[in-house]
Amino acid sequence: MSITAETAKAHAHDPAVLCCRAEGGITIEPANLEDPAIFDDLVDSGLLNLDGCLTIEEVLGAKLVKTCDSLCPLTADVVEGAKAPSAPAQEEAPAEEEVPAAPAAPAAPAPMTAGGMLKIHIGEGKDINLEIPVGALGGGAAAPAAPAVVAAAEAAAAPAEKAEEKVVRTLTRKHFKITEVKRGPETKIEGTTLYIREGIEAEVIDNQELVKDFHLEIITPDLYHTYSETIMDVQPIATKEGDDDIGTGVTRVLDGVVMMLTGVDEGGVQIGEFGSSEGYLDENIMWGRPGCPDKGEIFIKGNIVVQEKTNMERRGPMAAHTAFDIITQEIREAMKKLDESLVAETQELKQVRRPGKKKVVIVKEIMGQGAMHDNFILPVEPVGVLGARANVDLGNVPVCVSPLEVLDGCIHALTCIGPASKEMSRHYWREPLVLEALHDEEVDLCGVVFVGSPQINAEKFYVSKRVGHTVEMMDADGAFVTTEGFGNNHIDFASHIEQIGMRGVPVVGMSYCAVQGALVVGNKYMQYMVDNNKSESGIENEVLGCNTLCPEDAVRALAMLKTAMAGEDVKAAERKWNPNVKSTNVELIEAVYDRKIALEDNEQSLPMSQKRKEKYD
Amino acid sequence: MNDERLNYGGKIIYMEGIIVDVDDCSISVDLKGRLGFFKAPKRMFICDTEPKIGQEVGWNMSFPEQLGPEVNEKYVSNIEKERRKQEEMRKRLDNKEV
Repeated sequence: MSITAETAKAHAHDPAVLCCRAEGGITIEPANLEDPAIFDDLVDSGLLNLDGCLTIEEVLGAKLVKTCDSLCPLTADVVEGAKAPSAPAQEEAPAEEEVPAAPAAPAAPAPMTAGGMLKIHIGEGKDINLEIPVGALGGGAAAPAAPAVVAAAEAAAAPAEKAEEKVVRTLTRKHFKITEVKRGPETKIEGTTLYIREGIEAEVIDNQELVKDFHLEIITPDLYHTYSETIMDVQPIATKEGDDDIGTGVTRVLDGVVMMLTGVDEGGVQIGEFGSSEGYLDENIMWGRPGCPDKGEIFIKGNIVVQEKTNMERRGPMAAHTAFDIITQEIREAMKKLDESLVAETQELKQVRRPGKKKVVIVKEIMGQGAMHDNFILPVEPVGVLGARANVDLGNVPVCVSPLEVLDGCIHALTCIGPASKEMSRHYWREPLVLEALHDEEVDLCGVVFVGSPQINAEKFYVSKRVGHTVEMMDADGAFVTTEGFGNNHIDFASHIEQIGMRGVPVVGMSYCAVQGALVVGNKYMQYMVDNNKSESGIENEVLGCNTLCPEDAVRALAMLKTAMAGEDVKAAERKWNPNVKSTNVELIEAVYDRKIALEDNEQSLPMSQKRKEKYD
Repeated sequence: MNDERLNYGGKIIYMEGIIVDVDDCSISVDLKGRLGFFKAPKRMFICDTEPKIGQEVGWNMSFPEQLGPEVNEKYVSNIEKERRKQEEMRKRLDNKEV
């Protein structure tokens, strides 16, 4: 397929290959050339050899000296009057302080679909040493070996005008320490001991017609090596003081203990048939992920049995979550009575607006295909059920919330299936990107938009157009689009980015991609991508929370968005997933911002379960 | 990456099937030509309109290949636990109905 003059310009430094047979003596035009986006595949399969091939800018306007067949690379011996290349050749890389952005091509769509990772390029700083793993580049011989070039200009620095920070609202978190959980005659908290009423199980069962049985277990750290069904959700235990609304006022939260929900139907089939984080807890939980328990915490683990065959129906998981909240609610009531003297720590979260700084918005795509691919939005209590609306019922349309509402549990996640990439309720309570953007003095975080991912394509495009308009009327300078899990939600993920990008707003996309979650579709606005993968082999490794968005990803995304907003180039991704891109970027960010980025552990840090040993690593 | 363990992984075949069941979180597909059956989460299924029983679907796939002769005891034990639990619960359900 021939290319247009515009494409030729964008790919000026890419190899020139004839798209179809051309007669000797013609003057080479864009219409004679093939789209470079397809070359990698051809090179891989051995159909094309680009050795000695001239670039598109060199051959345009030159004369073809002999008749050549289609897909013939244009080398110096078949072209007469080739121009000199405008930019220096690309191969130079290591330890240069300032390399001009050599291969200018701004990310053809094809590479995006393959890897989903991009190199970044930071917009400020001096005396930076680059270390680039040239040898680590995968396969394709022609892959540009000079990633992440730092342009010294301090373009990303904040605009000169000095505007005052404005605190829109504050949220106070009062932490109460819990060191022991016991059963007792009533639900109460004494000192640091939480008692859960004996016999509360009966009320959980009676609460929902579909709930047929319920068992409560208290898992202390010495019981971590216990077999468990698939974990449906992990939730913080928190309550509002007085009549305070979510996202403002005072929230009381218990430290050292979390709620954990598991469930099966009466036939013994797991709710969420496809989940497979079942097994020993300590081998299947990625400790310390935003959505997961931390090591040392006590789990109040409820196993709900729902009516036979409702495990795959929407009402099954909904009933399980609603019934389990009976226990959490009773604990919340007990927390409301707690004496102030028991407060172990008080934390104040401020929603700060920074007029004059680059205005950014976070769009979080949540699952909305149905059943447990659903989320309760804005309950009365943090991560509660009462008062909330399911986003499937809302039609998955965008819902704007404040960053503090996110951190105060405005999402009760019914959580989707893939254990490694799902965002559980606790994830939002500690959402790293919201925290990072809120605390970054160089940006003005204006809000968070939640948008569901419907099942049907027509609905996906319906909601993504709404996202486009929502962001347009915010006058944002930059946007993040994040998604959990992978699968058809990547269609609307790409569409959200397109809808925002076509309005001239740079967008950084964040998702688990790597090997198994490779994007199914791409577009030209998907230039800035951050992969949330942490697993060694780039796969859904069945370890709870392993590939979710972590602080290290938030830092990378923020650095990338600042670069993009400053109008600088970000290098295109390699065709195949290459984990070295991430480590190079992290080193660059550390150097420029002079801060150490703590990288998260992955499944390799867990006791090796037999299944992982044999299957994956 | 494990795909280098496949001997025939590059052999991609176009397949078709029929949706035989749809619930709130999955679709079930019978492969045409009596070639098997699978059930997949809805989020792994791409559709322009609402999925319905009787619709035809298409996809590319290859042959599943055995990765080695070893049996993973962990999975065996999980399956066994699952089977026992289902049996127990089924018995209880039957007793209740009597």
